[in-house]
Amino acid sequence: MDKRILGLVITLGAWALGIIYLLPFIWMIGTSFKPIGEWGLPTLFPESPTSRNYLEILVTGGVYGVRGHFPPILRYLLNSVVVSVTVAILTSLLGAFTAYGILRYRAGGTFFANWILSLRMIPPVVILYPLVVLTKAIGLYNTLGGLVFVYPVITLPIVTWFMIGAFKSVPRETEEAAMLDGCTPFQVFTRIALPQASIGLATSAIFAFLFSWSEFLIPLLLAPSESAMPLTAFAGYFSNQYGILWGPLSAAAVIISLPVIVIAIMIQKYLIRGLTLGFIR
Amino acid sequence: MGSRSSGLLFIAPATVYLVALVIYPTVYLYYMIFHSLNPLFDVTPRFVGLQNIYTLLQDPDASYAILAMLLLTGITVPVQLALGSLLALLFTSPHLRGRLVLRSVMLIPLSIPAVIVGLNWKMIFFTYGPLNTFLSSIGLEPQPWLSAPFGHTFNTFFVLAVLDIWQWTPFVALAVAAGIESIPPYIQEAAALDGATRLQMIRHIVFPLSKTVIIIVLLFRLIDSLKIFDIIYMLTFGGPGNLTTTLPFYIYKVGFTLTAARADIGYASLLAVILLLIATFLVLFVLTRVLNVKRVVWE
Repeated sequence: MDKRILGLVITLGAWALGIIYLLPFIWMIGTSFKPIGEWGLPTLFPESPTSRNYLEILVTGGVYGVRGHFPPILRYLLNSVVVSVTVAILTSLLGAFTAYGILRYRAGGTFFANWILSLRMIPPVVILYPLVVLTKAIGLYNTLGGLVFVYPVITLPIVTWFMIGAFKSVPRETEEAAMLDGCTPFQVFTRIALPQASIGLATSAIFAFLFSWSEFLIPLLLAPSESAMPLTAFAGYFSNQYGILWGPLSAAAVIISLPVIVIAIMIQKYLIRGLTLGFIR
Repeated sequence: MGSRSSGLLFIAPATVYLVALVIYPTVYLYYMIFHSLNPLFDVTPRFVGLQNIYTLLQDPDASYAILAMLLLTGITVPVQLALGSLLALLFTSPHLRGRLVLRSVMLIPLSIPAVIVGLNWKMIFFTYGPLNTFLSSIGLEPQPWLSAPFGHTFNTFFVLAVLDIWQWTPFVALAVAAGIESIPPYIQEAAALDGATRLQMIRHIVFPLSKTVIIIVLLFRLIDSLKIFDIIYMLTFGGPGNLTTTLPFYIYKVGFTLTAARADIGYASLLAVILLLIATFLVLFVLTRVLNVKRVVWE
């Protein structure tokens, strides 16, 4: 077959697939700008676009003037941001610290490394009830602090393994030289190793952020009220209560998705590496 | 370099933390197996001995949930691996135009929260939603996508499986593509000089060299497939009837809602232990038999 025809077939085929992935998302964006009368129409784009959905869910609350249906989501959004950012900072540092011990000192041996890895396997629903009991016992149930306390179950294994990979590419020689110059192991870690692995550290923080941002089941049960519930859990919970308020729900979904998609495209190069904990480079 | 004790200091904080967050809950889980606790009426767990185990043996919903979970994984993961590997060939094809943009598009389903993916498809599959309107406009029968019982042509379990395949095939594709791209180009150049066709190269070079990557992908798909929860919560809430109540969702129903025939946290804990055992068994099998972790990590 002619090379150019082959190229055309491949490109068209691949892009036909691409459309299947793009359409639902475009549908969501389109719906978020539709006025109430158009929510059920099968049109991709609104005929008379409105920003009312966004204004109402962000600022005033309510749906087309009916209060009480949809509280303003600003508080939930804020909860999401606070929890995800805190978890990202804390777990990336703790994970880096742990990874360094595992890689450079072989602390805990293969067993410890494998044990951390195996935590990635635990379905959250399994340990959910004990975590409810635990957070209630220490007074963190239904608080932002409680979520920050619990999320590392998900994020710490990911970050630790990612950082093992990141530290692997840091040359040992400079660290050994610093040791000989009288640095303590902790100083070597903070002054030599960590700065050299800073891209890895930043990336792992972003991953911790993404995983925290997406978490649904844990906050659904651990933070059931407005004071702590993150936006993702709220959107899921709310849509099961009032299923067909598509306009505001789409607007909320767009607000949740956009930052994540922007970040994912920005760190595209590292995304697969992160999702496979550094196994696939 | 350095001493053993400083190494232990590095892993100590995480260890203490994870013991509190994982070991304690796991121990508590085993304690709860022998207790009964209704989420609404009881305050403290009541010791019931082996009663939860008797319940499990006589609970058809539980066996169905386990079966449904394994079936969903058994259908979706192999299809994702096959389709994803093909797609990876497409992604790495020199003939493809607009590769970077296409790859960015493919990141959407794996980066946005599963709940939002669920919400998105819920709108589309809604009885009076765009898909059904579109179908009737071209003269086809609208379908009850999210409430079609077993026996229906497009039953909801099937819809769920297709959605999971839709959502996770790009992950497989991008990962395998990354693997293919890490194959040194001179190997294929040499083969091309020897007159190998593209198909021969795929079969004798690309595929054998991507095996490890495919197995790693299998491992991650397996792990996450046994966790599927958010999508089910959003799309079907386990319905219609029990059709899409896989084990993780059944645990949630029994332990945290009043929608299951039994609402009991002790019984849910037993089911959780079963899920943990199944997941451990499957993952250990892949880890030890198929993938040599020690090699991947330390070398």
